[in-house]
Parts: sequence; C-alpha cells; structure tokens
Amino acid sequence: MRLVELSRSEHGGLRIRAELVEASAASQHLVPIVVSEFRKAATQYPIVFAKNTDTGRFAPYVLNGLGVEENLFWSGTELDVAYVPLNVRRQPFYVGTDEAPNTPATNVLCIDLDHPCLDAAGAKTILNADGSDSAYLQEILAVLGELVAGKKPTEQFIATVLSLDLLAPIFLDIVLDDGTPLQVQGLYGLDEEKFRQLPAEGIPRLWQTGCLDLIYAALIASGQIFNLIRLKNRRIALSRAWHSDAS
Amino acid sequence: MVSPVRSICIVGGGTAGWLTAGIIAARHTGESGRGLQITLVESETIGIVGVGEGTWPTMRTTLKKMGVSETDFFRECNVSFKQGAKFARWVTGEESDFYYHPLVLPEGFPSLDLAPFWTKYSDEHGDAPSFSDAVCFQEAVCELGLAPKLITSAEYAGVANYAYHLDAGRFAAFIRDHCVKKLGIRHIVDEVTAVVKNDRGDIDYVETSKSGRLGGDLFVDASGFRSLLLGQALGVPFVDRSDVLFIDRALAMQVPYDNEQSNIVPHTVSTAQKNGWIWDIGLQSRRGVGYVFSSNHTTTDAALTELRAYVGAGHGDLQPREIKIVCGHRQTFWKGNCVAVGLSGGFLEPLEASALVLIELSADMISTMMPATRETMDIVAKRFNETTQYRWGRIIDFLKLHYVLSKRTDSKFWIDNRDPASIPESLQEQMQLWRYRAPGDQDFTSNNEMFPAASYQYVLFGMGFRMDTCVAPLDRDMGSAQRAFAQNQALKVKWTKTLPKNRDLINKIKEHGLQKI
Repeated sequence: MRLVELSRSEHGGLRIRAELVEASAASQHLVPIVVSEFRKAATQYPIVFAKNTDTGRFAPYVLNGLGVEENLFWSGTELDVAYVPLNVRRQPFYVGTDEAPNTPATNVLCIDLDHPCLDAAGAKTILNADGSDSAYLQEILAVLGELVAGKKPTEQFIATVLSLDLLAPIFLDIVLDDGTPLQVQGLYGLDEEKFRQLPAEGIPRLWQTGCLDLIYAALIASGQIFNLIRLKNRRIALSRAWHSDAS
Repeated sequence: MVSPVRSICIVGGGTAGWLTAGIIAARHTGESGRGLQITLVESETIGIVGVGEGTWPTMRTTLKKMGVSETDFFRECNVSFKQGAKFARWVTGEESDFYYHPLVLPEGFPSLDLAPFWTKYSDEHGDAPSFSDAVCFQEAVCELGLAPKLITSAEYAGVANYAYHLDAGRFAAFIRDHCVKKLGIRHIVDEVTAVVKNDRGDIDYVETSKSGRLGGDLFVDASGFRSLLLGQALGVPFVDRSDVLFIDRALAMQVPYDNEQSNIVPHTVSTAQKNGWIWDIGLQSRRGVGYVFSSNHTTTDAALTELRAYVGAGHGDLQPREIKIVCGHRQTFWKGNCVAVGLSGGFLEPLEASALVLIELSADMISTMMPATRETMDIVAKRFNETTQYRWGRIIDFLKLHYVLSKRTDSKFWIDNRDPASIPESLQEQMQLWRYRAPGDQDFTSNNEMFPAASYQYVLFGMGFRMDTCVAPLDRDMGSAQRAFAQNQALKVKWTKTLPKNRDLINKIKEHGLQKI
C-alpha cells in the first residue's frame, strides 16, 4: 500500500478499472461501515462489532464470511450483493488526515498508488478533458464525504451502546454440512436480552437520537447469519462435487 | 438475646484499610448486600508505609469485584504490568546467573508434569534450555520487554497471566475515592487517641480528637506497624521470625528513567547482593529500587555503597529512605471483635510480593466468613486464625527456599541462611521428598495454599536443584511431554511476534482505554 495525497496535476492522467474495485474485498471477512449505512447493510449482511487492532476501540462492520479472510459474497468476478459498503466503493481512494504541527488536523484526499485497479487500460479517469473533476471522481468524493460525515455519529452510537452495556461477544454454535464446527472469534453483537431490560424512561432518548433505529437495524441484520451459513454450505457442496468429479 | 453484626470500623487508611473496606463493601453493602455500615478512620498526620509495589494476579479479581475500571487504575496509579520475577545472581552470584519465576503455569500443568522430562533431558544434554524457558513462554516475553496482553484484550483479561506494579500512595487514594463515591463508605479523617474496651474484653469504641467515639461491632486494625488495636490494646504478642529470615533493613530509592519513553521492564527484578537483595520495580514514571539487607551481617553504609553501584553513577544525587523492618507476625490475627489486616498483622521481606496478596486474602476471608452475630464471631475468628497462620507459614517456607538453594559463599549472610537450624522443618521435609520427585499438588493439600506447586518447581529447578529421576517412571507419557514442549515453543514464537512493548501498550491504554468486554 502506497498512500499519497491526490494531486490533480500529478495524478491527472491516472486510469482506473472500476470493475476491479470489488475484488479488493474478495478476502475481507469484515468491512467497516458507518451508521448511515445500517439500513442498507441490514438487507444483506449481519452487522457486527469488532475492536480496532490498533486502538482497541469498537466499530461496526458488515460480516462477509465465517472465517478470517473469507468473503462468501465474492463470486470470483464481483460481489453478489444488493448493497456494496462505502468502504469498498471508495477504493482506491482514502481520506487521510494532514497532521501538520500546530494546526488543526484536516482531511485530505489520498490515493493508494499500489492498488491493483490502477491500470492504463482502465476506463475511468479522475479528470475530464477540460481539467474539471470527472463524474467518477465526484461520485468518489460523495462516498468519502458520507464516510467522513458518518464518523462522529458512529462513534456516538458505539459510546451509547457501550454505556448501556449492550454489546456482548457473539458465540456462534454452528456445525456445517460437512461436520465442521464453526468458531468465530473477536466478534460482538447487540445483546437483545439486555436491550429488552433497559429501563423504559431511557427509551425516548434513544428514539430521539436515532439510536433505536440503529439498534433495530442491527438486531434484524443478525438474522443474515443464516444467509452466510447457506452460502458457506453451498461452497462446501460445490467443492465436494468438484472433488468427486475429479476423482 | 443475640447481638447482630451491623457495623464495621476500620482503623487506618493505607492500602490495607481501603482494600479491606472495598472488598467487604463490594459484598455486604448496596442493594444485594445486607446493609453493613462501614466506617474508616484515618490519620492526617501518619503517612502510609506503602509496602509492596508489586501485586499478585489476584489483584485483577479483587479490583474487578470492587467494580474498579482497569483503565482508570492504569491512568491514576502509575501502574505497569508485572509478569513474575527475574532472580539475578541468586545462585552463584555470577553476572550471567539468573532464573525466572513467571506467572504462567508450566505447559500442561498440573495434569502433565514436565519437570522429570526436563530434568532427564538436561541431565543428558549440556545445552538444555532453562526449566522456565522450556516449559513456559512467559520468560521469552519478559526478556523482550513485552506486555502480557493486547489493546484488544478486555479489561482484566490477558494473553499471559499478569499482576501489577503500582504506586502504593496513589493506589490507596484511588481505592479511597472509589470506596467513598461508589461504595458508600463513611470516611473520617481524625486522630485515634484511645482504644476503649468493654468488660468482656472486646473493643467498645475508639476515641478520636474531633469526631468523638467511633463504635463498631467488628473492628479492623489496619494501623500499620503500630498495631494499635490488636497489638497495643488487646496485647496479642508478636512472633519474631528473624530466626528464619534475616532481612531487617531496607534502603529505598525512586530512580527516574533515562527518558520518558524508556521501555518499562514487565517483571520484578530481584538481584542478590552480598548481604541481601535489591528489588527493581518499573512504574510508568520511575523505578522503585531498594536494598533489603541484614544489619547483623553488614552496615547501612556498606549496603548503600552496593545500592549506589546498582543504580549507577548517573544517580549519585538520589537519597535513600531507610526503613527498619522485623520479619514476623502476630501470634493470632483475630481476637475478640478485632481482626488485623496488613502490617498490623505482620511483615515479611517483599521477595515474593506477599504483602498486598495477604491483605486481599484476609479481607476476602473476612468478607465471605462475615459473622452474622457476635456470638458466632469466635468460631469465625478461630478459623481465620488457623488459615492465616497456615498461610504465613507457607510464605515463610517459600521465601526461605530461595536462600536455601543459593550456592553463594561470598558472605556469612548466605552461609548462615543455609544453616539447617534456620530452616523450618516443614520445608526440610518437603525438600527431602523433592529429591526423588517434583513438587506436585499432593504436597499442598490445603484449600488455602499460597503458592501453587508450579511456583516451587520454578524456584527449585531455576536454582539448579537436581532430582534423582531414576525412580520416576517417565516413558509412559513421553508423547504428551513432547507435544507440550512443542506447544510451548509454538506459543513462544506466536506471542513474542504479536505482543506489544510494555510501555507502548500502557501508553495506548492511557490514550484509548481498554474495553470492558
């Protein structure tokens, strides 16, 4: 990964193969999301919580697979999903922070120059012929804008569920069709029982701040785990069929 | 008529007083408790001794039960991680002489005992790894200065078992704050001027300068070395154990780091000297270093010269504090309606950080055995005394073991320490058995043991004690032993690659905090 600040003069000639962007998620079992994505994500993925390995702080993620580096939605050429998270769509761009001493940190648009979707044969450019931002770049900026805007409300939501003691480790007790018991570690979910026991007087506040919607979105999304198990069993069946054909 | 126990009066506000208050309150006050009233009176003028900047892993459970956040504890008490102790120059006195007593049990212990396999292997191979390195991954972690957990580990959870180094002064203030604000303990700052008994010999009340009489159904003496209640008022005699343990002086110093971000050593270092040993405990902002020695074998001046040589020429301006200590304990610890916790009950050299753990164990025992009435209190007192006497005996045995196994001959201090007349019979008997088989759970059958058999193994084999393995059947379990040695090797590789530097993790905990789950 080689992150640099995007310069329209220096990087104006870059071409991007947008069809390769989704491939970057092919071996990601977790993709971080912001709270504005919860409803859309809930139509497709379990929404889980996990700790950032560098800070230990919780963040929400969509779960793509049942093992490390497994993405069950990856078909081999694309993500077979109705909703692609912002953190996939923004690739190969990033928001970095400019931490010049003695000034408030500002967000800067960055690009990963090592990203495989940068390719001279790509159809997308970041600038139009007249030097203005291309529609593609504007779309990327909108995606990054939503991520930046979602950072604080997401942290606030996490702080709220932690203060209410609503997060609990997820224990998945699943045996796959081939007999493999599943062990998923380091994932946390909303504790529905504790949620039901919250004192009634605190609920209006959760409703006013929008937290209630998010809690329900995450609770409903937890059922998507069955979708993942179905996809996993299908993979096992396919692989078994492939092996028996071969023999 | 029965006299219910409704109120407790704790005299003394050091770590002993406040930990006892917190441990009892966590169980007996609040909604789920039975509404015991707890009052703690502490003097404004008498400072705290602040014994023991090292804890046992038990402190994690103790703090968790009291409802303390580990993150706050790190932020406020100058805390660092402790993963056991490194003993340097205890065996031969050579520069290269060291061994570890880590906090992680040997791989497979206690269902599998690797000691005879290691002994046999090292009898046959000159280049065998040390016992602790062969059976436990923690030594490698310590040698690299790594922390026992990750920033993603929950509060009080660890990758490797761990305890703490802490600033005792700040710790007492921190627990006090928690006790007063969260646990509803009544806090009185006043001088105790008299201890008044009733006609049956119990303590009726303590008289104070400004707050009048403070009564209680049970009194906890946490007054430190003075032993104001149990020793002075109730006249329970002190049992001097300097016949076994010769240390009676300490010279303590606070040594600054070379720079703010110097790594913090993640274990206690104990370095043997000519007439005692030097402790070295890394906190966040400084090291606590001190020489405990025997004044019957050397002078304070000579000891100070050794201490200065240890801390190095750059710290010549540091002035040590001298503390006189007497190794020993009260004959009984609970008499009538008064129980002693901490230094008022006794003191031993801090070789295995036994001071704070004894406070925790005593307070926990008082809390769980809390008599409902004065009439049943004597039964509880009898059991408390039996258990506590047993515990002191085991600690004394274990501390003495370190001296008995030394081969140092550079002073009378070390030679005298190996005089059989100074070795408790209980220890001599154990050592005779261990000639032919490793220490195991069968040697420690009480429910109130202090040190697991594994601790004895670490010290024995770390200090070069040899078992005669001829009589021990070995081969039958060779497969599982080989797997356990390989597993230890794998854990060593994994965790030395994954765990962060001790200082780095502590910085992160202060910045981001640890999660509760």
